[in-house]
Amino acid sequence: MSQLQFRVLYRQFLFRVVDLELLSPHAQGGAGKLLGQFAALLVLMGLWLSLGASIMADGRKTRSALLIGAWGIEHTLIATTMLVVGIFAVLSWDSAFPDRRDILVLAPLPVPAATLFLAKAAASASALGLTVFAFNAFPSVTLSFALASPEGGVLDLLLSPDLYRSFTAYWITMLSAGGFLFGGVLCLQGLAAQLLPRRHYLRASALLQMAAFCLVVTVYFLQPPLASPPALTAPSNQRLLAWLPSYWFLGLFQQLNGSMHPAVAPVARRAWMGLAAVACGTPLACLLCFFRARFPIAEEPDILPAVRGGWLPCFGNAFQTAIAQFSVRTLLRSRQHRTILAFYLGIGFAITVLYLKANDARGQVPADLVPDPWRSGGVALLASSIVLLSAWVVGTRVVFALPLDLRANWIFQVAPLRGGTECLAARRRALLALSVVPAWAGCAVLFFSAWPWKPAAGHLLILALLGIVLAELCLHGAQKIPFTCSYLPGRSDVHLTFWICTGLIMTLVKEAAEYEHRVLSSPARYAQVLLLLAAAGVVARRYTAARALSDHADPQFEQAEPPVILSLGLHGGGAAE
Amino acid sequence: MLELLEVSKRFPGTVAVDQISFRARPGEVTGYLGPNGSGKSTTMKMITGLIEPTSGTILFDGLPVRRNRVASKQRMGYVPEEPHLYGHLSAWEYLVMVSQLRDLPAREAARRIDGLLRLLSLDGDRHTPISSYSKGMRQKVLLSAALVHNPDLILLDEPFSGLDVGTALVLRDLIRELASRGKVVLFSLHALDTVERVCSHVVILHRGRIVADDSIGRLRSLMALPTLESIFAQLAVEQDTAAISRQIADLILS
Repeated sequence: MSQLQFRVLYRQFLFRVVDLELLSPHAQGGAGKLLGQFAALLVLMGLWLSLGASIMADGRKTRSALLIGAWGIEHTLIATTMLVVGIFAVLSWDSAFPDRRDILVLAPLPVPAATLFLAKAAASASALGLTVFAFNAFPSVTLSFALASPEGGVLDLLLSPDLYRSFTAYWITMLSAGGFLFGGVLCLQGLAAQLLPRRHYLRASALLQMAAFCLVVTVYFLQPPLASPPALTAPSNQRLLAWLPSYWFLGLFQQLNGSMHPAVAPVARRAWMGLAAVACGTPLACLLCFFRARFPIAEEPDILPAVRGGWLPCFGNAFQTAIAQFSVRTLLRSRQHRTILAFYLGIGFAITVLYLKANDARGQVPADLVPDPWRSGGVALLASSIVLLSAWVVGTRVVFALPLDLRANWIFQVAPLRGGTECLAARRRALLALSVVPAWAGCAVLFFSAWPWKPAAGHLLILALLGIVLAELCLHGAQKIPFTCSYLPGRSDVHLTFWICTGLIMTLVKEAAEYEHRVLSSPARYAQVLLLLAAAGVVARRYTAARALSDHADPQFEQAEPPVILSLGLHGGGAAE
Repeated sequence: MLELLEVSKRFPGTVAVDQISFRARPGEVTGYLGPNGSGKSTTMKMITGLIEPTSGTILFDGLPVRRNRVASKQRMGYVPEEPHLYGHLSAWEYLVMVSQLRDLPAREAARRIDGLLRLLSLDGDRHTPISSYSKGMRQKVLLSAALVHNPDLILLDEPFSGLDVGTALVLRDLIRELASRGKVVLFSLHALDTVERVCSHVVILHRGRIVADDSIGRLRSLMALPTLESIFAQLAVEQDTAAISRQIADLILS
């Protein structure tokens, strides 16, 4: 009985990773497809990094030199595994704890609390294990072959005990690193749930989720490269190393692999200490949270008093205001959508950090000169603002495509909506209000405080035009009211291509920023750039409006695959319908 | 007047509604009755434009709804069977959004929403997210959203679901009052005693086909049956209800 209950609950909790209610009715087997896409993305990332591991194998190097030389790629793999697990932990926030639905549905059933707890824990652990496996499937093999003795033939290599030891050490390290981070996040949630009253916890939980996401992304991109014996032993780095868990697990890997170096011994000790702390703290926090939170959840009143929500401005006529205000409220109140937007902003932020770090490494200002932020860091900041604006616009466009409470969209379907340009105008205002305007305003504050007013104003004008062009490009396609159209998995190829081309895009943006930096000191050329961007904006707007008037006029509420067979609409007489 | 002419709706493998024709006139309340799965909600959805009929024509005041979609929707109010609402909005925000979508002037919309929330006892919870509302409270929000723009055609699909006794009595009288003021009211309900009190005209649907379309009085006299329940049982209930209840009791007690 209990085993059957466990199996049923385990499957329920495991497949709740994907919110099936978001999916279009046309998405046959959509959840599997969506999960498959996530897994493919992770496998692709792993394959990319495994190439780095495979080119390390060099028969001319001694084994000790090879082992130390591999620290860089080993650390990258560990840090990236922790980033992937961190993002997974943020996306599956609260899934390890019982929610109100679980309590209200399962409490009347004869299910022991322990079975419920174990099913939740097992589902979380399985999802975590699959995530770690998808990312590390290729690197585990290539790194193990690269680290095994390079002397001898293929048979010697296959029979080498070093190969199997490296492989085992690799998987133990990656699972430990992932488990450490995931357990740490659970521990943090459990502690917050214990310390705060439930109502306050629910509010703090959303903030904690965003904070955890920012922390994971920031640490990944900002941590300095210390994977070498001199850097690991330098006294000036010891304080930093104490706060960088990816280096702890680099030490753990060396220890398990039998390649322990004195430089990594202290950080390896920290890994064991960290694992012990998480192994004790997480189950305790989860157990306490699980069993103590059940009654407060069940007993909390159904209707909580609330004050009036914040004021929102008008966004044009009544219809445009309705759509834009609905979009603003949905994005502000839906944790799932906020997290996805934060993911895009985090990537934009990471690229910004890379630009700024590259700029710092290149341009060292002599000590006797007064630093001029416009001359020294101008290009990096110009490029950063363009990237952040682009990430914000694209991210907002992506979250607009993901519905909220799909079954409630009937109200838009029965409302007398005018499609075409009216709907397009409403979508445009919502997109501009939620992406271009806040990004532009943030940049305005930064640039006016850091730069002379002329280049600041000049760049802000260019940024505004660029934002308008980008927004128009994002509005291209069928008319969909934000958050109301079902999602059909399998249409994210564009996003994948976009992220795969990130390197090219970064180079292009850098070149554009350098050009803009030169142009801002030449009024004639600046005017040309402005004219060009304005013309691009007008063309993009006209093109989008023309599409909205033609065959894409009616608002769409269900995303459907384009038909495999195209109907010509011809009848007996040969006339089109 | 609402007119359905030979309207059908086929889903893959099933015919939900099969060539139905009836009229709902202004000034009278038309009850749309039938067992579960007989096609009532499908018909309502076709009238509102949520789904397209496979064949047939739906006319409102002589004009095809399909060709005058925006204008027809502007004159309709609809309470769906399931109370699906945006849970992250409050009742006030939701109703303001609906009135904006229906292009009501802001001041007039605020006055009506304020009045509806007060009269339906939602005033104290107007800023609470709908996600925490009870079923009855959600139903009140749906009713307010359906009536806020003063529609000419009112479609009510199980409107009494979850309502407390007081509000149900108010709604019963309101339906009659709206009809007496010239509105076309089409509503479906399983509680036949309420239908008998409210409706002047009923359409009974069975397996997607109309089996009766007349006033309750005429049906009574034609079929020589005393109540609407007995008429409905004869026309639309195929099972021996007493035998089935005995079988269920036998099944669970065995």
